Amino acid sequence: MSNWARPFTVDVSDADLELLRKKLELVRFPDELQGADWEYGVPLEDIKRLTSHWRHSFDWRKAEAEINKFPQFTTDIEVDDYGALNVHYVHQKSTVENAVPLLFVHGWPGHFLEVRKILPLLTAASAEHPSFHVVAPSLPGFGFSEAPSKPGFAGYRYAELLHKLMLFLGYEEYVYQGGDLGHVLGVYVANAYGHKHLKAWHSNMPFYRPPSLLSNPLLFLELLTMPFNKTLSEQLSAATRFRKKGMGYYQVQATTPQTLGYSLADSPIGLLAWIYEKLYKAVDHYPWTDDEVLEWISVYWFSRPGPAANVRIYYELTGGNAHDLFEGTRWTSVPLGVSFFPGEPVRLPKSWAHLIGNVVFQSEHDAGGHFAAFEQPEKLASDLRKMFGRGGPAYRVISGKDGYA
Amino acid sequence: MSSNTTHSEHTFKLSIPDADLDLLRTKLALARFPDEIDGAGWDYGVPLADMKRLVAHWRDAFDWRAVEAAVNQLPMFTRDIVIEGFGTLNLHYVHQKSEVKNAIPLLFVHGWPGHFLEVRKLLPLLTAGSADHPSFHVVAVGLPGFGFSEAPKKPGFAGRQYAEVLNTLMLSLGYDEYVYQGGDWGHILGAHVAAQCGHKHLKAWHSNTPLSVKPTLFSEPLAFVRSLLPQGRWTREGLEASAQFARKGCGYLIEQATKPQTVGYSLADSPVGLLAWIYEKLALWTDKYPWTDDEVLEWVSIYWFSRAGPAASVRIYYEMTGGYSKDAMHMLKDAKWTSVPLGLSYFPAELFRLPKSWGHTLGKVVFQSVHEKGGHFSAHEQPDALAGDLWKMFGKGGPAYGAVSGKNGYA
Repeated sequence: MSNWARPFTVDVSDADLELLRKKLELVRFPDELQGADWEYGVPLEDIKRLTSHWRHSFDWRKAEAEINKFPQFTTDIEVDDYGALNVHYVHQKSTVENAVPLLFVHGWPGHFLEVRKILPLLTAASAEHPSFHVVAPSLPGFGFSEAPSKPGFAGYRYAELLHKLMLFLGYEEYVYQGGDLGHVLGVYVANAYGHKHLKAWHSNMPFYRPPSLLSNPLLFLELLTMPFNKTLSEQLSAATRFRKKGMGYYQVQATTPQTLGYSLADSPIGLLAWIYEKLYKAVDHYPWTDDEVLEWISVYWFSRPGPAANVRIYYELTGGNAHDLFEGTRWTSVPLGVSFFPGEPVRLPKSWAHLIGNVVFQSEHDAGGHFAAFEQPEKLASDLRKMFGRGGPAYRVISGKDGYA
Repeated sequence: MSSNTTHSEHTFKLSIPDADLDLLRTKLALARFPDEIDGAGWDYGVPLADMKRLVAHWRDAFDWRAVEAAVNQLPMFTRDIVIEGFGTLNLHYVHQKSEVKNAIPLLFVHGWPGHFLEVRKLLPLLTAGSADHPSFHVVAVGLPGFGFSEAPKKPGFAGRQYAEVLNTLMLSLGYDEYVYQGGDWGHILGAHVAAQCGHKHLKAWHSNTPLSVKPTLFSEPLAFVRSLLPQGRWTREGLEASAQFARKGCGYLIEQATKPQTVGYSLADSPVGLLAWIYEKLALWTDKYPWTDDEVLEWVSIYWFSRAGPAASVRIYYEMTGGYSKDAMHMLKDAKWTSVPLGLSYFPAELFRLPKSWGHTLGKVVFQSVHEKGGHFSAHEQPDALAGDLWKMFGKGGPAYGAVSGKNGYA
């Protein structure tokens, strides 16, 4: 059996559209406390407005047509012990033949379309900056990729699948960009394929385990002085606030993803609320339109394996909350670039970025949040151009592919 | 008599409109199920096979009208209760008097995902007259936001408010002095009622889910010292199980304590989602209890058809923990220790199985009982064992005998 890149178009069935329509018609809303606003979760007014828009105005076929303008494919990737998984991805080559092959990996509740605004910027040819060939997959269980059907598909399995996808596309050497779980999986790819294949990578959510006395004595000692260090304590208190108030989803998804999954699969407003909470909270004043939100949620609603499959990634990566997301990984010397965006809720002291890897590039912005590629594509593209361009710290990491004509 | 005088009582009969039954059936007919990992069992949550079977039964075989008729055999009422700062809440409750005139008035309080019907099997045991054990007049309340009680409309309905509404209910029924039995939130709220109305009105109380903080040297020195001594196997295994539960079983708690509205959309809109969310607890928190599909669906239907809707019920986690501002034990913060006599029953499949010495931080422990069988929903799983504990605690020769003056529970 030969494997090939089968061209793919999103084509949701009429039956699926009709089921969604019927469910939206039968929606039963909860009550709400007076003056609740965002204190208890997503406000009722937002959900009612979005539901009405979804029922009466949102045009999925129009959104679908726009999505299908991106060059999409599916291909089978063999993962050890899991057999072949059919993976969906966008693959856009630059006109620059020696463009840098870049793997763009989304997180949760993200998806492959987070690449859509940055794609033209990265693939554009110019004498002023490098160009990239971009591969943006749907992670297994998300979007239009198959989900693993056996348990235990953890960090190194994702890394294997992503790596093999790049090899399949002819990219023996490549670079990588990710945020959220895309960042987490970048750590795994760097650990498993760093230097030999992954030549450098970039994260817009630089996050790792806290320092320990044995692993990073200097940073650990800094942590001990935290009560006296105003900057450090401010940075940590923002992170702590998110951890306290914003991590309910993580706890549920890491321990009982299937139980949650029944709601996400059966109730469009349940799914909408679960995801929209993060879309709203994790951005930096991003002016979401209702159409944008509903398109995003619809990709989850119409996803190939269904909306319950994607939340399992938290369970698999943490062993059912037995350990953190980075189990079995360590610091690597693969060149790493990090970008700090002010609205990122998962924010640790900047010095801690060095715990992840060999930081060769750092950039700090005054605008942008968690979904950096979607909110601030120019800024993120600019960071990648600086990192990989002439005079940059990762210039020409891939021999023969410096990104210029 | 409290100045929060109540309006008159109305008898209550459950009668869900046909339109509501039709909506449920239509939603069940349109159920969209997720996929499942091969051989998942219970590892990732409720198994798909269980859900499909239960949904099919709910859609095609479950007879709500028959359930309703049976529930309506219970003596049920509603009454307006005024709470300071929150106006009037219409509370629903079962009120079954014993034939024994001087029976002990007992308030039975459920938790989450429980409801007033948890009292059902206990009711005949507690109200029956006998020379061998005391009898009780039983009031089983639906907590605000649960079952057929109204929900608070404003933020901030926490320990003080729950204590006030529960105490006022008993006073309005003519029970100036009473005792109390609760588990889960019923347990936590018991501590608040004791702190606020202990001795004056609440004369003694009992819990079947003794969750508490650790004793400290200065708060409970004896218990503290006891907690430092080498722990026996029962205690060690209990602590292990508690740590496991804290790590693996508290996702729902953190979500409900931080974002109850967000999860509320799923619970209100999807009977399948609600069923999974609640059934998971019914299955995992009980001790090999042989749930029938009808039992489960009756239980979840109470939530589905609840007066305030299922989203209102989970708000108690947010209100009682201050939105999880510090940690979950914040829920006991204002429930200061009192010397109101307290009885504790320990069931083996309980979620947090803490050392017996820790129970002394909750109040003046006069009765302790350890069981070989039973889990979190002890009134439903082990009604004889629980009734037996109450008989021992309040009966002749028991440590809380005669707690309520003039009402020792005997003819």
